[in-house]
Amino acid sequence: MASRTSLPYLRASLRHPAAQLPPLRVLAPSITCRYASRLSRGDRRERDQPKKKKRARTEFINQSLKNAVQFSLCDAMRYNRAFEVGRPPTSSKYDLAIRLRTIKNGPAVRNRLRLPHAVDTSIRICVICPPDSAISKQAINAGASLVGEDVIFDIVKEGRIEFDRCICHVDSAQKMNQANLGRILGPRGLMPSAKLGTVTKDVAGTVKGLIGGSEYREKLGVIRCAVGQLGFTPEEMQRNVKAFVGNVKKDLALLSDRINKEIHEVVLSSTNAPGFSLNGDFRSPTSPPTRDLAVL
Amino acid sequence: MNVERRMKKLKAKLLDIRIGPGAAILSSDVKKIHLEFARKINDGHFGARKVWRNYLPRLKYHNPAISMTINRTDDQEGPATLTIHFAPHSKSTSPTASPAPTSSTDPSTPPPDYNPSRRVETIDMKHKQDSEILSRLLELTKATPYEASPDELVELREVDDNKMRSDRDKKAQMRLNQIRKQEEALLAQAKGAGKLEGASL
Repeated sequence: MASRTSLPYLRASLRHPAAQLPPLRVLAPSITCRYASRLSRGDRRERDQPKKKKRARTEFINQSLKNAVQFSLCDAMRYNRAFEVGRPPTSSKYDLAIRLRTIKNGPAVRNRLRLPHAVDTSIRICVICPPDSAISKQAINAGASLVGEDVIFDIVKEGRIEFDRCICHVDSAQKMNQANLGRILGPRGLMPSAKLGTVTKDVAGTVKGLIGGSEYREKLGVIRCAVGQLGFTPEEMQRNVKAFVGNVKKDLALLSDRINKEIHEVVLSSTNAPGFSLNGDFRSPTSPPTRDLAVL
Repeated sequence: MNVERRMKKLKAKLLDIRIGPGAAILSSDVKKIHLEFARKINDGHFGARKVWRNYLPRLKYHNPAISMTINRTDDQEGPATLTIHFAPHSKSTSPTASPAPTSSTDPSTPPPDYNPSRRVETIDMKHKQDSEILSRLLELTKATPYEASPDELVELREVDDNKMRSDRDKKAQMRLNQIRKQEEALLAQAKGAGKLEGASL
C-alpha cells in the first residue's frame, strides 16, 4: 500500500516540473523537492565532484551523413531554380561548400582556379602596354577593356578609374613609374608590381587568368566558392563542380604527409535557396530533362 | 550543425515547395509567365508580390521548362499585370541545345524557342487578392493540380507534428523561465531587505 501511495509523487517529480505548477506557487516557501538545475540526485553528486580537465578537441566535429538526404545535381538545381524564381539572374549565383575532415589548426587550403565556365565576367581590366602593338591586340582579344600607355596615365590622373584590375607589360613598367601613378593607384590596390605578378611579359595569359579566375580558401573546415550563374545548364554546372572539387582534391593531396584532409560533404546552394547535399550523381530517374533546367 | 535538425528543416521547406496552393502542372503550350508590378505594395500591388513569393516557386518547381520572369518597377501608380505567353509545342528544337540565359528583368526578351504564332493572355493583378489571381491563372493555363503522393502526406503529417511539439515545448520553456526569473527576483529582494536591516542595527 505504501508503495502505491508513493507512486504518484514519484511520477509527478519525473514529469516536467514547470508544466503543472502555477506561477504563484513560488510565492509560498518551496518544500517539494524540485531541483532548479533539473538534475536528479545522482547527477548532482556527479556534478559536485571536482571536474576532470577535458582535453581540448583538435578536430572539427563531422556528423555522420547516414541520415542526411542527398540529391543528384539536377534535382538540387530544380529546387534551386524554384527558390530563385523571379530574382535578377545577375545577382543570384550557385555556390558550393566543401566540408573537410580536418584538424582545427595547421595549414589551410588556399588556391585559385579557372572554372571552365566563368562565374563573374563583369570584371574590367586595364592593360598598360604600347598601343597598336601585337601585345595590345593580344590583351584586347583576351578580354582587356582598356589598353594603352599615355592615354591611360592621363585618364587616371584626372581621377577617372574605370577598371577593377590593372596589369602592366614589362616594357612599359619604366614609363609607368615615371608617370607617378602610385599615389592614385596605390591606395586602391591597383598599382601593378612585379611582386604581385601584375607586371608581366605574358599579358594575355594574366588577363585570361584574372577574368575567369576565382579564389577559394578554407575557413573553419569549409571551402566555399561561387561555381555558377543562375542561367547555367546542368552540364555547365557539372563541369564547373567537377573542376572545383577536382582542384580541391589535388590541393589536399599536395599537403605534407603528416596532415590528412579529406572531403566530407559537398553542398550546393544558391543565393536564396537552402543547401543541398550532393550525392555525386548527375541526375536521378525523376529529374526533368536537363534542357529545361536552364530556363529562367 | 546537427544533421538531423538540418534535414528536418530542409524537408519542411522542400515539402512546402512541392505541395500547397500553386502546385500544378500547366498545359504544355504555356511558354512564359511574366509578372510586372511595383516595388512597394501601395496602390494595390500587394497581391502581385504575394503571388510571386507564395505561388511562383511551386509553379516553377512543377514546370521547370516554363520561363518565369519578373519586372519590378519604381512606378507605384503603374499597372500590375501577369502575362502568359502561349506557343504551340514545337519539336524542332534540339534537346541538347543550351539556351543562352535570358534576362529576368527585361520584359522584351523572348523565351529561348521563340515562336511567332503565339497567343498572349493578360491578367490585371491590381487591387486583387493573391488567391484570386492564382485561380484565374490556373484557369487560363488549363492547369492540372498536383496530387501529393502518400509518402508526401506522411511527411507532411510529420512536419505538422514536429511543429506542434515544438510549440508546446516552447510554451513550457517560457513558463519555466518565468518561474526562474520570479524566484530570482524574490531572492534578490530578500537579500536586499536583509542588508538594510543589518545596516540599521
